[in-house]
Amino acid sequence: MLRILHGTNYDFIKPWRIAVGITAVFIVGGLAFLGIHGINKSIEFTGGTLMQVQFQQPPNVGDIRATVDGAGYAGSEIQQFGSPRDFTIRAAGHAQGGLVNNVEVASREIEAALHKKFGATEPKVVRTEIVGARVGDELSRNAMIAIVISLFVTLLYLAFRFEWRFGVAAVLATAHDLFSTLAFLAIMRLEVSLTVVAALLTVIGYSLNDTIIIFDRVRENLKKARPEPLYVVLNRSINETLPRSILTHVTVAAATLSLLLFAGEVIRPFSWIMLFGIVTGTFSSIYIAGPILLWIERKWPRQRGEKSAARPTTPAAPTRPASAPPVAARTR
Amino acid sequence: MSNLKYRLGLIVALVLVSAWALFPRDVKTRQRDSNGIWRDTVTRRVPLRKGLDLSGGMHLALEVDESKGVIANKAEAIDRALKVVRTRIEGMGVSETVIQKAGNDRIIVDIPGIDDRERAIRIAQDQAFLQFQITDKTQAFEKVLPRLDAIAKQVGFGASAKAGDTATASGAGLNGLLTAGGDTSKSVAVGAKKDSAKTDSAKKDTASLPGASGGVVSKMILAGQMPGEFLFDRNNEDALKKFMATPEVVAALPPGKVVRFGSDSSLIQNKTYRYLYLLDAREILNGESLTDAKPNAATMEGTVVEFTLSNEGGRKFQRETSKHVKDFMAIVLDNVVMGRPPVINGAIGTRGQITMGQGRDLQAAQDLSLVLKAGALPVPLKVAEVRNIGPSLGEDSINNAFRAGAIAIALVVVIMIAYYRFSGMLAVGGLALYVLYTLATLAGFDAVLTLPGLAGFVLSIGIAVDANVLIFERIREELDRGKTIRTAIDEGFRHAIPAIVDSNVSTILTAAVLYQYGTGPVKGFAVTLIAGIVASMLTSIFVVKTFYLLWLNRSRGAQTLSI
Repeated sequence: MLRILHGTNYDFIKPWRIAVGITAVFIVGGLAFLGIHGINKSIEFTGGTLMQVQFQQPPNVGDIRATVDGAGYAGSEIQQFGSPRDFTIRAAGHAQGGLVNNVEVASREIEAALHKKFGATEPKVVRTEIVGARVGDELSRNAMIAIVISLFVTLLYLAFRFEWRFGVAAVLATAHDLFSTLAFLAIMRLEVSLTVVAALLTVIGYSLNDTIIIFDRVRENLKKARPEPLYVVLNRSINETLPRSILTHVTVAAATLSLLLFAGEVIRPFSWIMLFGIVTGTFSSIYIAGPILLWIERKWPRQRGEKSAARPTTPAAPTRPASAPPVAARTR
Repeated sequence: MSNLKYRLGLIVALVLVSAWALFPRDVKTRQRDSNGIWRDTVTRRVPLRKGLDLSGGMHLALEVDESKGVIANKAEAIDRALKVVRTRIEGMGVSETVIQKAGNDRIIVDIPGIDDRERAIRIAQDQAFLQFQITDKTQAFEKVLPRLDAIAKQVGFGASAKAGDTATASGAGLNGLLTAGGDTSKSVAVGAKKDSAKTDSAKKDTASLPGASGGVVSKMILAGQMPGEFLFDRNNEDALKKFMATPEVVAALPPGKVVRFGSDSSLIQNKTYRYLYLLDAREILNGESLTDAKPNAATMEGTVVEFTLSNEGGRKFQRETSKHVKDFMAIVLDNVVMGRPPVINGAIGTRGQITMGQGRDLQAAQDLSLVLKAGALPVPLKVAEVRNIGPSLGEDSINNAFRAGAIAIALVVVIMIAYYRFSGMLAVGGLALYVLYTLATLAGFDAVLTLPGLAGFVLSIGIAVDANVLIFERIREELDRGKTIRTAIDEGFRHAIPAIVDSNVSTILTAAVLYQYGTGPVKGFAVTLIAGIVASMLTSIFVVKTFYLLWLNRSRGAQTLSI
């Protein structure tokens, strides 16, 4: 039997101050970065015109810039996209307002100017996106509402299935992941698109999963006959779930890495965020959710006989009558 | 044993249902062949729709345009507009278009595989409001010209316009030329074949405008060959259009009349002239009475659109036109006079034609017939979003996603089998069913596969084995405690289930909220997520357990479990 980190007994909670310090510095630094540079929003959110063009031969970037400037779209962003033959041109303005029929004038003018400079069929425009400003506002508002409501619903569910202390700790840990991922986004200067929002949501789900797996173990261990301080129970639970954590993170990381390396340029920001999400999700399950749970426990101690934590869980209930002794007690 | 039979039966049934849901089937689509004839073609494909980012094509978002006045009942208007847009786009003959409402005030149009962006936008967005109006006979425009000149002076219009040039071309010389020029401008004939209207082609004398006070506007505008028709140099077009739209000018225009620009132009003395008309604001008929329209190539007029009116519309048309014999009737489409207004020689019945003007091909006539037949948009729409993806890019994306997916699956399989050996193989078997079930669910929901969706799916394969890992680790723990293999498997599953259920249900709740409040791609992502989680729970808890039971049955008294 191949085993990794089996039967460990590390004190995971002890260095929580250092861990919290590191993540605080990272988040504050990242958000400060965000404050200075602003979010690098994709065209879906800002509105404007984006064109992806493909050349036969790698062109001179300066030529492209000069051509686009000459067409009257100075200040456009021109970026290499994947291979040296592919470029994106992002022009602001013109798409937002003014004449009704003219949303796509910018793309047509830029295309015409490029063809004049590089040849009748060169470069090939492989993608055009033109977005009015209002669409983006609505998108970001909806995404925000969705994230906040989903966190709230999760809180309610966990309060019902575990107890409110676990719910609050899990949701705060998840909120931490949201902020640290935003900080990562800012530091990497990744472009926030709808795909990235989807990645962010995946990270939330994944991190929540991880926290719940550990909390489930805590819930189970708390039910055992011998009363132990939460600190000990928490540490033991993390150690017991360690092999599972490692293996799951490895398989998810494998899938994410293959996306990052092979799925092409469009998916790359998604993959980066997911890769970071695995790290921060694991980190927060141990170092954020754990200490918060301990802190809540200290502030609002569990009353003796409060049964919410010891309530048998619904799926297992039919197989384990309430009168039967706890499983762990039976084995030893 | 009977329990095991039921389990196996259920798994096989699910596999069969999934296979059926994914089995390539015949899809009937209407497409136009190279001769422009509609044909029903049958293609055989797996019923999973590719998103535009994978298939290539165009995505359009249309919104109510309120730049020219607020629309009162937007929600109702957008519903009616949706019907019109749907009829038009479906008439284009591209298969698998998606036309739907998004939010309360937006129409989404997805057209796979189209390469002519401008054409598609035109078809979706053109309001196609057809009106028949009589040109002004009261010389009302001439009367307000001095007033327009004064306004022009006030607002500084004409300083840059080439009024002088035009003025030199006026006079007797122009009159003669205009008669010749009338032929190059293909004029409109209403009432083809049976009906009696014929173009009175440029027989009237043209004169420079009477009462010209020498102002900028009077110099710029020349009288045309029929009452209410005027010409101006094409170079002045943009400036003049802007000037005519200023509030001062609109207020100065005679009541009950409207100014409309023409679609045609004429070449006179090597200069291109455009037309301007003053029309009676009252329409004698509009496009609502139109029942059919089809393109045609007429020998004299070039490309035309022939239309048929409803019986009721025809009667009204007859009544109105009989009152206006010898008058000129402008055919106005979206506030532009199409061709040149023909003279009404007698009452016109239910049939007529619209001349497309020079340089417009059969395609343009086809598109116009399409939008006329579908009816006018009840509200003006504006394009809020255009996304156009080339087919080659879509192909690249698919190839990349499949390559990444294959590598990801290979890695996960290797990790699981290397770590859990025999049990890992069972998990891989479950994973195969997971992929099958998820894809079948997506096909069942008629979900669209997009690139982010594919990426999410690849990722979910990595996440899906989590439940297996949880169970296997539990079984190992139970084995460590010295339990028999059968008990260890039972207990392992039982103890792992609460964690699996709780973590997955909370993710499903999150996804459900996303589905409720998210838009477009986020919604699609939520559907993929939910389908994946349900399939993952099913395969890890139920299918893999069944595999174990099967194995236990076959190897009675096995002392070791490879896990």
